[in-house]
Amino acid sequence: MVEGEAEAEAEVKKGGVLQGRYELGHVLGHGNFGRVHEARDLRTGRGVAVKVLAKDKLLRTGMMEQIKREIAVMKRVSHPNIVELHEVMATRTKIYLALELVRGGDLLARIARSGRVREDVARRYFRQLVSAVDFCHARGVFHRDLKPENLLVDEAGNLKVVDFGLSALADHARADGLLHTICGTPGYVAPEVFRNRGYDGAKADVWSCGVVLYVLLAGSLPFPKDSIAAMFIKMSRRDYRCPPWLSTEARRLIPKLLDPDPDTRITVAQIVETPWFNKPSVSRAVTAAAAEPPAEAACSAKDSGGGDKDELPETLNAFHLISLSAGLDLSPLFDVEGGPARGHREDGMRFATREPASGVVSRLEEVAARSGGRMRVTKSGARGVRLEGAGRGGRKGRLAVAADIFCLAPSVLVVDIKKDGGDTLEYRSFCSEVLRPALKDIVWAADPHPAAAAVDAVRPPSDHCSGS
Amino acid sequence: MGCLQTKHASRSPHLLDTREAVALAAETSFTVSEVEALHDLFRKISNSVIRDNLIHKEEFQLALFRGKKQQNLFVDRVFDLFDQKRNGVIEFGEFVRSLGVFHPDAPEDQKVAFAFKLYDLKQTGFIERHELKEMVLALLDESDLDIASDAVEMIVDRADTKGDGKIDQEEWTEYAKDNPYVLRNMTLPYLKDITMVFPSFVMHSEISETDMAV
Repeated sequence: MVEGEAEAEAEVKKGGVLQGRYELGHVLGHGNFGRVHEARDLRTGRGVAVKVLAKDKLLRTGMMEQIKREIAVMKRVSHPNIVELHEVMATRTKIYLALELVRGGDLLARIARSGRVREDVARRYFRQLVSAVDFCHARGVFHRDLKPENLLVDEAGNLKVVDFGLSALADHARADGLLHTICGTPGYVAPEVFRNRGYDGAKADVWSCGVVLYVLLAGSLPFPKDSIAAMFIKMSRRDYRCPPWLSTEARRLIPKLLDPDPDTRITVAQIVETPWFNKPSVSRAVTAAAAEPPAEAACSAKDSGGGDKDELPETLNAFHLISLSAGLDLSPLFDVEGGPARGHREDGMRFATREPASGVVSRLEEVAARSGGRMRVTKSGARGVRLEGAGRGGRKGRLAVAADIFCLAPSVLVVDIKKDGGDTLEYRSFCSEVLRPALKDIVWAADPHPAAAAVDAVRPPSDHCSGS
Repeated sequence: MGCLQTKHASRSPHLLDTREAVALAAETSFTVSEVEALHDLFRKISNSVIRDNLIHKEEFQLALFRGKKQQNLFVDRVFDLFDQKRNGVIEFGEFVRSLGVFHPDAPEDQKVAFAFKLYDLKQTGFIERHELKEMVLALLDESDLDIASDAVEMIVDRADTKGDGKIDQEEWTEYAKDNPYVLRNMTLPYLKDITMVFPSFVMHSEISETDMAV
């Protein structure tokens, strides 16, 4: 293996550039499988963290297959409170993961600095943590190693969970390395995990969230790690003490999280309904916004791109029309198991109508009005309407439906409806159960008497089209 | 620069040759790792019907229409453009070079040129009026839209701004600049995520550290 050794010497170090994209800076820390560099994406100038993993160590510990699986999983969990994986690179001896760089340090360092955190600050972190956990669970991804070391805080004070889906690698290096040994992982693991009889990842994550919350509020672990056996007994007997400074609501929530029986333990859906979780924050109004899933908040106002009464649908010319062809959309090539599946054409709905734009718009607005608050209009105008699920919506994010209205010919509009967010199955059932029936009588189906259509088509333009 | 080893010559044809990967990366906006990830995708598509590591038209159609074989003028055109050697199959190099045009980082003029070739059905150097009409009719048919023939003529006329019955490269370039949505299909954001969607390459990559640092 002389070749391999020479290879190791030639490894990319500080100052080197990976694949022409990432210029490596100083080492942020060391983990079990390699080191983490600060780096700069030369295309954008943006800072990233590059985690270098040694393949031989991964092979020796039998982690290779798992890494591969978890990389694919991590791509599915893009959320403002989860550290994002940007890209993966590999050589014969190493794997490089380009990750979002979080500069503020981890939660453990924060607790170590101040002993514990104020209750409203803890609530803010906890909401963000629960938001991230809920998002991942809805996608079948469990962390299994939630602890303050895996919770980073960015410069804006937002929580970022590290290694979601990469729990096998949960050794994210920290710049400081403070208090490394005080909170070992066993302190955060649910009792049923110790039993070694298989466990529900979602339930176990909720337990860990409970320990994190306790540590934030109390400044110490609920179950001191004298020995694993002693700790296990204490967990099973609910043998811990809530410090006297905790609020009543917090005292009510913590036992529900630290319930040794996974079957009766509180669920994420129940956590978000508790008074402590919902208490309005006194200091900062940003909390809720930061904890929200990445919804299309930008399109929240009715006035964005719509509302103008004089606006007319855009007139489709030949090239625009052609570009709508499914045959020119190559994205299905990438649609493999576990791969991206957003907005596939099969989920679309396109139809022609002789209804004026105002008629199409009001039909779509009626859909929202009749949904009993389930859907709301986030954009409305002659060029298109966007409907979005109200409230928390589905667990995979809010359902959003965008209808673009184009003018195809005088008196003929084309309505192109696509999913703009949320779960595909939910969208499909919305289309078949709500949208299609609501629009049925304005859809101009392929006409069995083309002559009749021709008569209409030569009618002078009414309010259908803008000038071409 | 490269770090060539003779052992690559004896490797299985199903595995990507490191030299080829490095060369393709140099030619396109892809990194070596992205080329390796694309090879995984290529193997899936190219072995779906005939296990020969070449994408036949039938395989291309299957991949685009989720298992349903479907005739489509535009798919035929895309296939023909990917098949640079015009031997009826898409080889890995052709696949990567063509997809390179669709990379979010690929230069805009490459996308403009690719779309022009796509629409220039008979490759005369012009998008002629009858070609445009053929494509409009194909789209209407594909979408189950039925409109009067004079309406079709109007749609076609609207695109021929000079009114001379054909569109040349320059006219197209101008047009694409003013109407960026016509190039929407020429960019595939998925390509940025390719190393995470097809991460198998991390296990069998034979790229040297020297090649990594190019």
